[in-house]
Amino acid sequence: MTDMDTERQTMLADMAAGVFAGIGWQAEFDRDWPRMAELGFSGLLLSEDEGGFGGSWSDLLVVARLAGEHALALPVLESAVASRLVAGLEFEGVGTLAPSSDGELSGDTWSGTLSAVPWGRHAGFVIAGEEGGAVAIDTSDAQITERTGLSGEPRDTLALQNARAVRVDGGPLALGAAIRAMQIAGALGKALAISANYVSERQQFGRPLAKFQAVQQSLAQMAMESAAADCAAFELARSLDRDDASFETAAAKTRAGMAASTGAALAHQVHGAIGFTREYALHHLTRRMLAWRSEFGGEAYWSERLGRTIVAAGADRLWSDLVARTDP
Amino acid sequence: MQTFTIKPYAMPDSAPALREKVRALVAEHEHRFEPARRANCWVTPDPEFSCALGQAGLLGMGWSKEYGGHEMSALERYVVLEELLAAAAPVGAHWIADRQTAPLLLRYGTEEQRRRWVPGIAAGEVYACIGLSEPGAGSDLASVRSNARRDGDRWVLNGQKVWTTGAHISHIMIGLFRSEAGSERQAGLSQFLIPLDTPGVTVKPIIDLTGSHDFNEVWFDDVRLPADALVGTEGEGWKQATAELSLERSGPERYLTSQILLTEFVRRLEGGADAGQLRLVGRLVSELSALRQMSMAVAARLAGGEDPALEAVMVKDLGNSFEQAIPQAIAQAIELDLSADDALELLVAYSMQVAPSFSLRGGTREIVRGIVARGLGLR
Ligand SMILES: Cc1cc2nc3c(=O)[nH]c(=O)nc-3n(C[C@H](O)[C@H](O)[C@H](O)COP(=O)(O)OP(=O)(O)OC[C@H]3O[C@@H](n4cnc5c(N)ncnc54)[C@H](O)[C@@H]3O)c2cc1C
Repeated sequence: MTDMDTERQTMLADMAAGVFAGIGWQAEFDRDWPRMAELGFSGLLLSEDEGGFGGSWSDLLVVARLAGEHALALPVLESAVASRLVAGLEFEGVGTLAPSSDGELSGDTWSGTLSAVPWGRHAGFVIAGEEGGAVAIDTSDAQITERTGLSGEPRDTLALQNARAVRVDGGPLALGAAIRAMQIAGALGKALAISANYVSERQQFGRPLAKFQAVQQSLAQMAMESAAADCAAFELARSLDRDDASFETAAAKTRAGMAASTGAALAHQVHGAIGFTREYALHHLTRRMLAWRSEFGGEAYWSERLGRTIVAAGADRLWSDLVARTDP
Repeated sequence: MQTFTIKPYAMPDSAPALREKVRALVAEHEHRFEPARRANCWVTPDPEFSCALGQAGLLGMGWSKEYGGHEMSALERYVVLEELLAAAAPVGAHWIADRQTAPLLLRYGTEEQRRRWVPGIAAGEVYACIGLSEPGAGSDLASVRSNARRDGDRWVLNGQKVWTTGAHISHIMIGLFRSEAGSERQAGLSQFLIPLDTPGVTVKPIIDLTGSHDFNEVWFDDVRLPADALVGTEGEGWKQATAELSLERSGPERYLTSQILLTEFVRRLEGGADAGQLRLVGRLVSELSALRQMSMAVAARLAGGEDPALEAVMVKDLGNSFEQAIPQAIAQAIELDLSADDALELLVAYSMQVAPSFSLRGGTREIVRGIVARGLGLR
């Protein structure tokens, strides 16, 4: 990382933190999206020639962590990735990613159903399909069934008939998994901070909970899970900037998913009943972590896929393939 | 609140060549390695292999040439360590001397001590042990009672150390002794360099539950040492010993002890695996990969002259939990006859027995998590 990268990321972080903090989970698409558009988040991964910010995946990680931390209920990340995939193609409106789809491309039209599409109801286009066969689909005429995910955010079903579609490079499943892993890292870091703060203030038996060793050990465990998710997300972003990140995507989504379940459980345990209320802010983070954990492939999907690749390569390549990922 | 600081690293250009060099050396000696014990490789001694590493220039990698070192970077050293561990090579003879004894002497020792001991360590010929724990001082290390008193220009040591790994094959011990009579807790402690052939030192074996002889009791009965047996500053023993712990806790050995188990598990699955087995492989490798990122971030900060003590203990505890869980996870995923002589069965049977020690040695899980909690500002 050069000094310029660091400087750009500090600037991005300041901007994103300031804006996201004021909106967070209370975001309303119609009210708040214009501000995101104005700040150019959707163009984060587009080159400056394409009218974008010229950012890298490591820059996106900075924004994704903060979006996770503030439980930002807007498709900032989905649209940044979708916009990059359609760069140079004519698509209008907000782009998002479909974790799963059932349909067919015939010529330059696509018919079928897209499921669990984040903010599908607001989308102008959606990236769908498998790696190697991904398509960008114009969804302005989609028939929409509005649905809400575990996170409380829109996860809609879109039915399409002969919608305009163009092949694109890059699989929505893998890229969606990548941004979810990054968001989990951000949300878990924040849940840790909230928990550390809470146990320092809440008193029982005449002293702060933080003074009880059992509570300390739970928070230490959370801190380590958070560190593991962060490191996995960091390496994932670096690999996306390098070239192929199929290993890191599977590894980071799996590791972050494990961290999300352990971390969310511990955060609730140390909070007692207050954390189980609708009013207290913790659930905005924990419910999202648990939703993100299973979106765009959960641990079962990604760990099996990774395991299959490793076993196919064979025992003698397990270690050498792993270290080759980080060697020059 | 202090948490894990990620430090970006770049693997050295020499990494692939160093890996090849280690792999070739391991291949040359592999026929001698004891199969089961490879699952606890950095506690398994093989002096012949240690000497071979020394001759190949793979020990003392970061130290100045003046003392037999090779002036390479911390990350180059890291590459060599992780290759040795991943190959499950028996590196136990020199491990402690190379990891912490020589670095301690280079940092705090006298010129005389460095010249006398460090080149032999770099050659893979001189081995060392850590004399911290005592019967009454385990987790509560500050209750050390073994003592050193001055007698003219000499030191006289009395007391007992316990759980001393490798004392029976070591040439020297770095021991923590109470050098100020009547002092309490962390104050009044000093570190001493004790040649184990000094009269009055008795090493008695302790056989562990697997039947192996790895650790020992070491008794000191009026052990007379010259004035320059003191390492560093008198009374600063606590500070020096705890600084050494960062070196002890942060390395790749805290998550790669049983890497060979994972490798052999994958080999067993090459003929066919169900979804659950594939998922286990994927999950373990995801954890391994994250731990490696964490550990390399620590190595990069150590290389930059920082002391990332908090990050080091996080790697230790997370790594220990990971490697401790592997034998059980494999046993749940595949039916094994643990009396069989195949590589996987031998390794699982052996590592199930040694795994409990992973979260004890180098500081227990509870103590290590307490250190993390302090970093979080909770204590
Ligand atoms: C294989 C192996 C090799 C070793 N090699 C060496 C060596 O080379 N040199 C050396 O000096 N030592 C060595 N040790 C010793 C090791 O450092 C100690 O075992 C460790 O510090 C714990 O001390 P203890 O065994 O006396 O357990 P204790 O301190 O008696 O602890 C027993 C249990 O109580 C818990 N406990 C203790 N205090 C607290 C507390 N305040 N809060 C919560 N829980 C607590 C511990 O976490 C542990 O679970 C080795 C140990 C092993 C197992």
